[in-house]
Amino acid sequence: MTDWLQENVLWLIPAAPLLACLWIVLVGHVIRRQYAHRPLVIGLAVALVASLYLLTVVVPHGFGHEHEPSHSVVTTVYQWIQIGTIDIPVKLRADAMSALMLTMVTSVSLLVAIFASSYMKGDPGYPRFFAAMALFVFSMCMLVLAGNFLLLFVFWEAVGLCSYLLIGFWFHKPSAAAAAKKAFVVNRIGDFGFILAIFLIWQTFGTLDFQTLFESPQRIAEVLKSQPEMFHWICLLLFVGAVGKSAQFPLQVWLPDAMEGPTPVSALIHAATMVTAGVYLVARCTPFFVHAPQVQMIVAGIGAATALIAAITALTQYDLKRVLAYSTVSQLGYMFMALGAAGGGAELAVPAVTFAMFHMFTHAFFKAVLFLSAGSVMHAMGDVIDMRRFSGLRKALPITHWTFLAGALALAGVPLLSGFWSKDEILAVLAAASRGSEHGGFYSVILGIALLTSLMTAFYTFRAYFMTFWGDEKFPEEAGHHPHDAPPAMAGPLAILAGAALVVGLISGPTHLYAHYLHHTPGFPEGHEFPMDWLMMGVSSVLAIGGIGVAYLMYVRSPKTAENLKNRLPIPFLVSNEGLFIDWCGYKFIASPLRGFAKVCELFDRWVIDTLVDCVGFIPALFGSVLRPIQNGMVQNYAMVMMIGLLVCLITVLRALAVTTSGTM
Amino acid sequence: MTQVSEMTATALESQLIVGATLFVLGVIGFLTRRNLILIMLSAELMLHGVSINLTAFSRYHGNPQGQVFTIFVLTIAACEAGLGLSLILSLYQRRKSLDVLLWGKLGEDDLPVFTSPSNLPVQVPVDPNADYPHLSPSGRMPKTQPTTPTKT
Amino acid sequence: MEWTEENGLLLIPLGLGWLAVWLLMPSERKRPRILGGLAGLAAILIMQMMLLPPAGDLVRNALFFLFAAGSVISAALMITDRNPVYSALWFALVTLSVCGLFLLNSAPFLAAATIIVYAGAIIVTFLFVIMLAQQSGTIGNYDQQPLQPAMASLGAFILLGALLFTLQEWGHIGGPDASQHAMPGQFITVPVELQPNPLSQHPPDNPHEIGSLRVLGRSLFGDYLFAVELAGTVLLIATIGAIAIAPRRSQGTL
Repeated sequence: MTDWLQENVLWLIPAAPLLACLWIVLVGHVIRRQYAHRPLVIGLAVALVASLYLLTVVVPHGFGHEHEPSHSVVTTVYQWIQIGTIDIPVKLRADAMSALMLTMVTSVSLLVAIFASSYMKGDPGYPRFFAAMALFVFSMCMLVLAGNFLLLFVFWEAVGLCSYLLIGFWFHKPSAAAAAKKAFVVNRIGDFGFILAIFLIWQTFGTLDFQTLFESPQRIAEVLKSQPEMFHWICLLLFVGAVGKSAQFPLQVWLPDAMEGPTPVSALIHAATMVTAGVYLVARCTPFFVHAPQVQMIVAGIGAATALIAAITALTQYDLKRVLAYSTVSQLGYMFMALGAAGGGAELAVPAVTFAMFHMFTHAFFKAVLFLSAGSVMHAMGDVIDMRRFSGLRKALPITHWTFLAGALALAGVPLLSGFWSKDEILAVLAAASRGSEHGGFYSVILGIALLTSLMTAFYTFRAYFMTFWGDEKFPEEAGHHPHDAPPAMAGPLAILAGAALVVGLISGPTHLYAHYLHHTPGFPEGHEFPMDWLMMGVSSVLAIGGIGVAYLMYVRSPKTAENLKNRLPIPFLVSNEGLFIDWCGYKFIASPLRGFAKVCELFDRWVIDTLVDCVGFIPALFGSVLRPIQNGMVQNYAMVMMIGLLVCLITVLRALAVTTSGTM
Repeated sequence: MTQVSEMTATALESQLIVGATLFVLGVIGFLTRRNLILIMLSAELMLHGVSINLTAFSRYHGNPQGQVFTIFVLTIAACEAGLGLSLILSLYQRRKSLDVLLWGKLGEDDLPVFTSPSNLPVQVPVDPNADYPHLSPSGRMPKTQPTTPTKT
Repeated sequence: MEWTEENGLLLIPLGLGWLAVWLLMPSERKRPRILGGLAGLAAILIMQMMLLPPAGDLVRNALFFLFAAGSVISAALMITDRNPVYSALWFALVTLSVCGLFLLNSAPFLAAATIIVYAGAIIVTFLFVIMLAQQSGTIGNYDQQPLQPAMASLGAFILLGALLFTLQEWGHIGGPDASQHAMPGQFITVPVELQPNPLSQHPPDNPHEIGSLRVLGRSLFGDYLFAVELAGTVLLIATIGAIAIAPRRSQGTL
């Protein structure tokens, strides 16, 4: 009975959003367009309930401190490919990690869907928005539940497609269309690495099934014995895939531009769920990564670089959503730093992955609330998002103010809030890695970057907060005279998310609830209790409060300071504002040469290939020009030809006659 | 004519020569004249030449089959004249001219006209039915006006 | 084919005839038309001299030459006249001359029928059309500028030359045999499979009655009944076609 229920709950989770999507596309698109959000909300509610149920069944016996035997729920939905030894079913597999991830995805998307039902009201593409969003949630759930690498890849692509559809939701806006294209193209690079990794896994292990790969240590041991370098390549290529999807350096350029999409999309896809798929992939493949410590160092290095670059860029942005986007990139960098910390020693593997996943979990909530609050600000300000054009909104938008503050405090890492716990644990594991004998120096640098980034995070978050909600009350003219605060459908999800951002860390962080649950993921190495690092806690608290204080001084106390600093240091400001010119470099050194190459190809096509084709086409024309004068439409010409023919016949007959007569005579 | 005299091979030959000459003169008329009506008349002239041949052979061989065929030729000539004249009338109504060169254009209206070999000046009257449908020239895709995206 | 003197002689009337037709053709430039006329007459005379039978019925020969020369001259003038009305009238004269030849060939019924059909119906219709089309009476410039007259006549006269040579060859080789076979009043034996329908077999006609209506009618409605029916059908179809093609009254007559 329980097994039956487990297996059916498994397919119910992706099926509910898929049904919602089909219903909106087939029916909701035509009739009752203004209620197109209802199927999605219902579907997501069903999926959320199913996920919560799954959460309780995957780890059965009131999980305790001891490492339970591996357990995963598997169901095969459909036999997809079966050729010879290749056997790839559409197989759903849930374990502790996927259950946590699913809970996060469905809950955040349910809240975002409710928010969007009010936010998107009146848009001509209202049903299309919810259809794409339903498709996204379906794809994301399938991505999390995928039972083998190929299925994972399929939905990895599907979420990319939904991201493309939703970034380009206002496709008539050239910037949105360009941003969608950019996101899609940049993601292709990562996907290329990912599919190469899949090929390599297939070649090395002969299977793509998670259960076989991760839950059988002897198989991994065999390969480790025969071809240990293979793990490095597989992990490196998997990480390339993660870099593309999770917007890490150097492929982070697409995420800030993705803010062209509607704000709920930014909150859901580009902050809470899809971009964390890369983190999920690396975490999921922990059994591989533990055997490739060099790759883990690369992961940590890339994460640190991304976190630093994004944080520097976020310092000077004036676009509220862009600040949040760079912050997202920076926090994803944090997660990768944490994942990479496992390279510091075998005993760090489990805490590293756990804390990365935990940060992802808390980040989803507070970043979602930040984005949705930004959306609420946009909604009130008549779609103006430039922070220089409004200020002092705390009176006009009290609800939004409080929810944004909650999110900002959590993101900055103020003690006892969710960001504090997760970030602190990452710092702790990095500190542990830096104390390790091997690569200690490297991880010390990473730790330094992490601390610096932590300071900057607090600063730029509160810079945005103070610029938006403090100071003199100022509205842009687009907002009208009386900006209204979030309506109930928007305020409700905001409040819930803000509450989650405040308490979710406190509930599951210090109690190690999350960590212990995650330990039940099959295939995880044996873990140890990771001690609280009080030093790091203190340092990070000081940094967070210091960053907030600096921001307060610069933007509330004496607003001139920021302006003066900007004028005093124009070059660093420009470098920061332009995102270290990475976009510019990418355009100059990659896109432009490629464009030039495309131009050359186009010329080649036009002048060489087209000419060849035209030459082929010219041959009949040549024959035609020879024969055409005969067919000139003049009756007399035809008659003349007939007459000549008659003449020829006559002469031939005459000759024949002459021959026969001379023969007889 | 009740009195039938003998017909020699020489007499037959001279009759055939007359027939051939009429036929050839008809050919010349058909080939050179530009008047649609004269072209038809020349065709009738050729038929006359053939009829003379037929009757001459009929007389020579002393059986009526040649004359029977002449009657058929006569029938066909009548049909041809009726149809031809009605065609000429409708052609004339289109172009208000009997010039056969006006009808030598086989191509579409938007293709360059093939110049007649004789380079004779052709008076092309204004076509009153210029707007009847015709095929568009095929080839590369025509450049379309880029539609400006509507901003909302 | 051996080149005999007689063959060579034929070239003279042919060349003259070509010259005549070419000169007589309407043209924008002034051409010595009289010269053309003279050349044509000379060509006809030479031909007549070449064809002059050694002996024979004088009246008959004279009538034949009269009709033959009349038809050829009228035909030449018909194709060369710049005025289509005159051309049609010349064609009427050609028809009359041809009917004369029909009479000489003992085909009185045909002669009558041809006059009725051609002169009475076809030419009148042609004249109507010409008059409808050229109500102003001016001659269109297309009637004054023939298409390549020299080349077309040259080709046509080469054709005539070939025909005449064929006739001459026939006269030399096949002529005697043919005259043996086909003595006046004798029927050429037709192979059985080529014979007309045996059901309508009838005794050989009296050679003196070849052109008579009785013989003609029997042949038409006996041996060629099917063909006659077909010809009638063709006439009917042509009538329907002419009515269908002719401009509607709604489109305006001319």
